[in-house]
Amino acid sequence: MTETSHPVQHRIARRRRHKRLMFGCLIVGIAGLTIGTYVDQYLLGVLIYWSGFFGMLGVWQFSPVTLYDERDTAIERKASDYTLGVFAFILVLGAPGGITLEASGVLALPEAFDGAMWTLVAVFTVFGVIYTVLRFRA
Amino acid sequence: MKNDLRARREQEDESQADLAAAVDVTRQSINAIERGRYDPSLELAFKLARHYDCAIEDIFEPTLGD
Repeated sequence: MTETSHPVQHRIARRRRHKRLMFGCLIVGIAGLTIGTYVDQYLLGVLIYWSGFFGMLGVWQFSPVTLYDERDTAIERKASDYTLGVFAFILVLGAPGGITLEASGVLALPEAFDGAMWTLVAVFTVFGVIYTVLRFRA
Repeated sequence: MKNDLRARREQEDESQADLAAAVDVTRQSINAIERGRYDPSLELAFKLARHYDCAIEDIFEPTLGD
């Protein structure tokens, strides 16, 4: 074992512990919400869920250990990019396609379709606003 | 981008975990850089260069198309 191994192992173990704590908070929150809903204790379930969620955020943001590094951020950014690309594709083709099919009487689309399209419009509106702000600040 | 990080690390008898801890990233990131699957940020490249007491271009070399 090298001289640096002890602090390194300690650091790795600490990172692992903090990550487990982070996901543990979320799992407890989700379990609390699920059980609370199942036994008709909705308020308690939601309170446990929020506590778990904020616990996870707290560990993530205030942990003295680096839980995620720049590569994780780059992967997240790429995943978000692809996700938005998929949704953009669905919106750009789906919205006019759905309107045309419905207007021509070929297909009666369920209300959920309209809901989904408006949700996508909302997502891209928020994206556009955030993108514009970031572009002005960059 | 090509790099000789693995050779430098092995020359110093360091593990990926040692190097990762020294520059404050995960071991997986060091592994990805060594395999050429991830190009580090300028900040991390500077940290690596400082760790090996050399210039960034001594470790990293752009390949055609970068």
